This record gives sequence, structure tokens and C-alpha cells, in this order.
Amino acid sequence: MDLEMVKYLAKLGKLSFTDEELEQAVKDMTSIIEIMDTIKEIDITYDPLKDNHNVYLKDLRKDEAMPSLPTDKLLMNAVNSESCFVVPKVVE
Amino acid sequence: MDVTSLTIKEQHKMLDSKEISAAELANSYLVRIAEKEPSVKSYIAVTPEAAAKTAEAAQKKIDAGESTPLCGIPLAIKDNICTDGIKTTCASRMLENFIPPYNATVMEKLNAENIVILGKTSMDEFAMGGSTQTSAFKKTRNPYNTERVPGGSSGGSAAAVSANLCTAAIGSDTGGSIRQPSSFCGVTGLKPTYGRVSRYGLVAFASSLDQIGPIAKCAEDCGTILNAIAGYDYHDGTVSKLPVDDYTAKIGMDMKGVKIALPAEFYAQGIDDDVKTAVLSAAQKYKDMGAEIIDCSMPSLKYAVAAYYLISSAEASSNLSRYDGIKYGHRSDVSGNYNDLIIASRSEGFGDEVKRRILLGNYALCSGYYDAYYGKAMALKQKIREEYTQIFEKCDLVLTPTAPTVAYGINENIDDPAKMYQADICTVTVNIASLPAISTTCGYNGDGMPIGMSLIGKMWDEATVIGAADAFEKTFTRTEPKI
Repeated sequence: MDLEMVKYLAKLGKLSFTDEELEQAVKDMTSIIEIMDTIKEIDITYDPLKDNHNVYLKDLRKDEAMPSLPTDKLLMNAVNSESCFVVPKVVE
Repeated sequence: MDVTSLTIKEQHKMLDSKEISAAELANSYLVRIAEKEPSVKSYIAVTPEAAAKTAEAAQKKIDAGESTPLCGIPLAIKDNICTDGIKTTCASRMLENFIPPYNATVMEKLNAENIVILGKTSMDEFAMGGSTQTSAFKKTRNPYNTERVPGGSSGGSAAAVSANLCTAAIGSDTGGSIRQPSSFCGVTGLKPTYGRVSRYGLVAFASSLDQIGPIAKCAEDCGTILNAIAGYDYHDGTVSKLPVDDYTAKIGMDMKGVKIALPAEFYAQGIDDDVKTAVLSAAQKYKDMGAEIIDCSMPSLKYAVAAYYLISSAEASSNLSRYDGIKYGHRSDVSGNYNDLIIASRSEGFGDEVKRRILLGNYALCSGYYDAYYGKAMALKQKIREEYTQIFEKCDLVLTPTAPTVAYGINENIDDPAKMYQADICTVTVNIASLPAISTTCGYNGDGMPIGMSLIGKMWDEATVIGAADAFEKTFTRTEPKI
């Protein structure tokens, strides 16, 4: 785990770090990946056919419209909301 | 008599016989919280107004002769479970001001039973941690020794039950987050089978592993709460439609002939001698009750922590991508474009441990590493499940320590995330295999710190897990913390 990899992972996660934080993240991630690497010792393969992912496909609910939350409730936690979600300008 | 030290069953009896009113019972806790909470720091928010309102509604039911087992019982709720109109912060700056516009299904079910809500309990941020020291708001202390951690991530819930700051509490368990703090705080915590309790309204950490469950003073109380919260939910497609059992049905069960397996790997290197001795002595007690103790093996245990952290972090990195500072959650004041806003909001809102999990999850899922990490972890998930299936062909229950050690010091391990992760070795396989498990106290070490043991059951067999834990509890004298 090197600095470039941590910067890449941070970019994927839409996170920014200071130089000092990046340095610490490299140290932490290096020791964490050492633990994760233990699984390289074992030679097994995932069989997706054996896994139902805990979803009960026979009992899926009907595809039908149900009552939704009112707009004011959906907007109550948005900052700068004026009956809509406000975002920075995206079109020049 | 101090009513705050009583169980749900004992309080229910007092409420029904009008020895105490729901408001008086709630008040006893609020008075104790005012006195003890500053040293325990278990609540992110105490909700006296909600307590008064729910106590009034409960009293009406009691007076009308329509009481249920949880009617008027004061409970605390982990702060990652959505409570309509009551802040749900997940112990994160990201959700510091988040007021859910709806109730989690478990809250709807508990409200239908007329519980009294005392407040929202602290936890590790987004349930990521085992010490409650990653909480952005309340770094909870262990009631047995306030210089030690309560465990986590449901550390606030476990500490509140332990210190008699609520009758029982609701927690969530992704890799041990109900059982390990229950062990550290000397109380009883149940992680139900995956799919037994709805996750709708539980702030998502790792969706294939998360499960809500109770933390209480005894196994029977856990069963009473599970009776109320289990069952199908339209809003959560992973909840089973299997009928809900009476989870207190096996209270008082005869342990004669019950087969209990002890996987050797759970008693090997890395487990403190005090812990090993206490759990093995509990196994002997079961043997004395007529249970059959069986030796067995789980060879994949040494890979379990890695498999768990890869799967849970992969899911977390995906689940947490919803926090963009726009619809809800922390929004940065930084000016810039759409992307700048998202990056700044996330970087300011999430704490260090949450960021580490996002980095690890992205690593496990990113191109070139996916098969070696996430794919291999999923293969191990299948292998661990197979090993449990083989073990359960020969036994009814599996007995293990809940944690390798007792509660450690507040500042220990905090700067060593890798060491913290390895401490989850005793609990993570249960989540990986979707099984039910309970942790109850089986002893105390020389410093008086509680030691927990876990009874793991077959899928959907919570009744046996609870019955067997109750059988042990009836032979064991619990020492209350001197808080």
C-alpha cells in the first residue's frame, strides 16, 4: 500500500486528506492489508450459484405504487432547500 | 426498592398490579440518568418529553387492561435506528442534525407495544468499531470501571443497561456489535438470525450482515423483546416470512441431552487465560446439568476477520456513497462545483475510522484486486457457512468466548486499527453465517471485569439459544457494577 494507491482510493470514495492525514492513512492501511492478505493462503473460489444472498425470490412483493412521504418531510433535512434540493451550478 | 435494577418481567408485574405507574417508572430512570450519566456517557440524547408522552400512552393501555409484556417498559435505542422526529446521528458529524421523517420498523413494532423511550444511545460512528470511542459525541465508559471501554459498537446501549439507566436497549450487530459490548458490560445481548428482524430504518453499514437485536439484563428479557420486533416487513425484502416463534418458550428448558460443541480454534492462542477458564467452566456447568459437550473444529476461523472486514467494508463503501451533503447530512460551506461540495461534505462529516473503512472497501472492490480480496472473502463466507452446517449436524449449540479479553483501557488500541480488527475474531463468523447468537456473563476476572460467553444456534432457533442462556443464568450470580 503506497501513497499513490491511497490517493486513488480516496478519489474513488470522494474524500480529501491533508498530506499529514495521507501519511497516516498509508501506515494504517498497510497494517490493515497485512491482515487481509491472510486470505491469500487459502485456495478457494466463490460459487455464486450456492448463494441466495438472503433474498427470498419466490416472495417478492408486487410492483405497485404505494403512498410516499410528503415533500416537506423529504426536504426537512436538506440544507438550503426551497421546495427542492439545491445544488451548486452544474451547467455554465 | 430500586426499581431500575429490575428485569422487564418484574417491572411488567409491578405495572400491571399498579404498584408503580409507567410515569413513575420512567421518572426513576430519568433521575438515575441525571445522576449517573455524566460518568457513563451512554446517551447521545435523553428524551424526557418523549418518555412522558409514551408513558402516558402506556398507562392508558394498562388502565384499560390491554397491557402487553413491554407496555410501559423504559427502553433506550441505539442512535442508528430511525426515530420519527427524534435526532438519529449514528454518532457522526455527518448526521449531527438529522431528524428522521419516519420510524424504523422496529420502532413501529415497539411503539405498538407501548414501550417508553428514554433516549438514543451512543455507539461507534456508523457502527464501525468495538469500543464506542469513535463516537463523535459520547465516548461511553464501562460501568464496571469508567477507565475502560464499554465495547462496541452498541457500547452506549450495553453500558446503559449495565448501569441501570434503562431496563433494556436495542442495538445492532454487524460483526459482534451487540454481543461484544454485552460481554464487556456484564449484560445479555442477542444477535438474531439474519432476516429475523427488519432492517428498514436502520442506518446501513453492511447490509448483508447487519441485524437489530436486544440488550437486556437476562436472556428471558431478550426473548420478550425479540417477540415484539421479529417478523416479516413489507419494506425489507431480506426479512423471512417464516412464522415468528415465542422466543421465551424454552425458558426453564432441561439441558439434559442438549449437545453443545466447543470449536477448538476459539480456545486457542490469543484468548486470555481468564476468559478461557471462565467459558470452559461454564461448559462444565452445562455438563453438570446433563448437556453433552462435543469437541469440534472450525479450520477457517483464522481467515474470518479478513473475510469479515473485506465484505463489510466493501458494502460500507457502497452504502456510505449516499452521503453527498445534498439531500440530508452534513453540507460543507466550501464554495466550488458539485464535485467539490460532495468531497468537502464527506471529508468534514466522516471520522477517521469511517474513512478507513471506505478506503478498504474501495480497495477490495477496485479493478485488479476484486477477485483476490472481495471474491476470496465471499468464497470464505461460503466455507465458514459449510463448516457451521457440518458442526450443527452433530450438535444443538456452539459455545465460544464472546471476546478474547475483558474490557480494555480507554486509550489502549485506539491508534492501532489492525489490532482492534483482530479483536473481533470470536464474533464475526456468526454474522458471516447469518446465525443467531447470545452473549451472557459467565464470570469476572481478578479486577472484577465481566467475562462473556456466546451460545450460537442454528438458523431461526433463537428459542434454544435463549433457553440455554437462561439455564446458565439461573445458576450464576451476577455482580452489579458499583457505579
